[in-house]
Amino acid sequence: MDAPTHAAMIGHEAPAPGGPNELDALLHPPKALPHKPGRVREYSLTASDRQIEVAKGVFYSAWTYNGTVPGPVIRATEDDLLRVTLTNGGSHPHTIHFHGIHPANMDGVFEIVAPGETFTYEFPARPYGMQLYHCHSTPLKKHIAKGLYGAFIIDPPKPRPPAQELVMVLNGFDTDGDGENNFYAVNGPAFYYAKYPIRVRRSQTVRIYLANLTEFDLVNSFHLHGDFFRYYPTGSSDTFEYTDTVMLCQGQRGIIEIDFTNTGRFMFHAHQSEFTELGWMGFFEVVD
Amino acid sequence: MASTAAGRLGPGAWRLWALVPLLLLVGVVSLFASSGASLVDLVGRAPPPLDEFDIRRIEFKPGEIRVRVTNPQRPKLTIATVMVDDAIVPFRLDGPATLGRLRSSTIVVPYQWVEDDPYTVGVTSSSGIETTFDVPAAVETRGPSPRGFLGYALIGFLVGIVPVALGLGWLPSLRRADARWVAAFMAMTAGLLSFLALDALTEALGLQAGLPSGFQGPGLILLGVSASYLGLTFVAQRFSAAGRGERSAPLEGAALATLVAIGIGLHNLGEGLAIGSSIALGELALGTFLIVGFMIHNITEGLGIAAPIARGERIGLTRLAALALIAGAPAIAGAWIGGFVTSDLLGVFFFALAVGAAMQVVVEVVRYVARRAPGGLHSGHVIGGYLAGIVVMYATGLLVA
Repeated sequence: MDAPTHAAMIGHEAPAPGGPNELDALLHPPKALPHKPGRVREYSLTASDRQIEVAKGVFYSAWTYNGTVPGPVIRATEDDLLRVTLTNGGSHPHTIHFHGIHPANMDGVFEIVAPGETFTYEFPARPYGMQLYHCHSTPLKKHIAKGLYGAFIIDPPKPRPPAQELVMVLNGFDTDGDGENNFYAVNGPAFYYAKYPIRVRRSQTVRIYLANLTEFDLVNSFHLHGDFFRYYPTGSSDTFEYTDTVMLCQGQRGIIEIDFTNTGRFMFHAHQSEFTELGWMGFFEVVD
Repeated sequence: MASTAAGRLGPGAWRLWALVPLLLLVGVVSLFASSGASLVDLVGRAPPPLDEFDIRRIEFKPGEIRVRVTNPQRPKLTIATVMVDDAIVPFRLDGPATLGRLRSSTIVVPYQWVEDDPYTVGVTSSSGIETTFDVPAAVETRGPSPRGFLGYALIGFLVGIVPVALGLGWLPSLRRADARWVAAFMAMTAGLLSFLALDALTEALGLQAGLPSGFQGPGLILLGVSASYLGLTFVAQRFSAAGRGERSAPLEGAALATLVAIGIGLHNLGEGLAIGSSIALGELALGTFLIVGFMIHNITEGLGIAAPIARGERIGLTRLAALALIAGAPAIAGAWIGGFVTSDLLGVFFFALAVGAAMQVVVEVVRYVARRAPGGLHSGHVIGGYLAGIVVMYATGLLVA
């Protein structure tokens, strides 16, 4: 009779929506390209209103970039010329506000894109590091909580050492509109990586581009079981902290590098127990 | 014109004619329904459904929490996730996941709960709306067992039969009392029954407020009050007619005492139900004090039954025991129902029955006092007695509030 308690839910016991590999596009970033100043990198994002399944059986009326929450991973190498086109297919005015260095008229604050309209953001990608983007229309809280955000990676001129690269955007969903999140997750649906553990090899560094875009809650965090990692805040310098837990406010981000000592199944989750038990929990399956 | 039509159709056909408005209604309704919501769109747009569940009962069993949920709204409602203390938990369902209007399911959550700790259970619908239910203290819910059956029976016996029987012990003293004093005690009976009627009405209104609106609590109360009031009026008429052949004569003696006992019995049914369900749901600290309080509170009910038989023919012990049972035993039945079924719907109806019954008995007692008491309704003894009845119920009520 002893059914598993929630903390140990894994595989099909985990109440997560979706099928295997569904989040691969959000988990695995596009390949890094070598440094080539002035190269044009084009992305096109369409804002749209969409019902998404945020926890098993729970549907949420989200605002999305390209149909997913978080939106697609945007990646460029420092000094690339980024050209990001926003088409607003939603029912409210939206923008894209990028973190990084760019001209004032490309900041996504004043250039409101009305429904049906298009705007192209164009600026050189810098500085290198883990950046992020989100809608900056008002009411800001609503536009972020509804799901308009994503990861934005700028690679350094000197390439980072090869690694198994992953992207993790921490987020939450306030499905009943009371100003508190009902579900927490990484890259979207609650408990997804508990149902489908992320398979990594012990032989190569695991590099996680981590960003917190959780609305309403002051902080979120990332905690790894059974090992330590190097944490580079914002990923824009070589300074790192050797730890197993990092804390991030909304908009804070960084790069985690793990060299797994052991094989096996290791949990990762928010070290806010409440977030963990409301969906922000997953597993690494470390193999040789 | 009508008379010629009537002449042609005959009385049988005119009965059929009564169906015509109904058939026309069906026609109009189906015409409107087939036009869809387009007509409603002219004046606005319906807001989305609340999508909140009605959580009525949470049971704590060893290693398990059982949550009874009902869909109180017209649109269907689907159970998607379940939370205990803000943590998503695995669960299974006894019943469907998607609930039609007023349909229920039981959510079974394997859970190592902590005795006496408060818990918040949340059920989230597929539209993301979370309904929460707070349990002040987790206490194991006992299922129907011989032990529990006996326990509830004992509680019903102590708060129902015992005080009524003790109250009947005032009968010898009443028999020796002056007629004015007997009238005073009759008025006191009316006073305490008025108190019980208001008390039961308050309970019924309070309980119905928590019911899903689909159950139409106020209508149910009106039905219960009317049914018991008219039912007892009918019974009273029969007693009266059987006794003396004159239909409008006020009841007296054993017949009136029986009516008072029925009125009190229906109240005790509701009281037993309330006590039983409170114990079952761990909401009631069932101390010795509370039981003692109910005993003191209810002893006056025995006095109320004794007053009508203070005059006239003597009543045998068997009759007296029967009266005590009529008034007190429903508390046992109520405790069983409350303890094992816990239906607020039933609670509302039972309390409504008690209201009607008490009101009817007050009317009977007042008629009796008006006709037979020295000085009628205006004597100081009667007015004082009525007020004393209310004061006694109020004062002893402080013990159980």
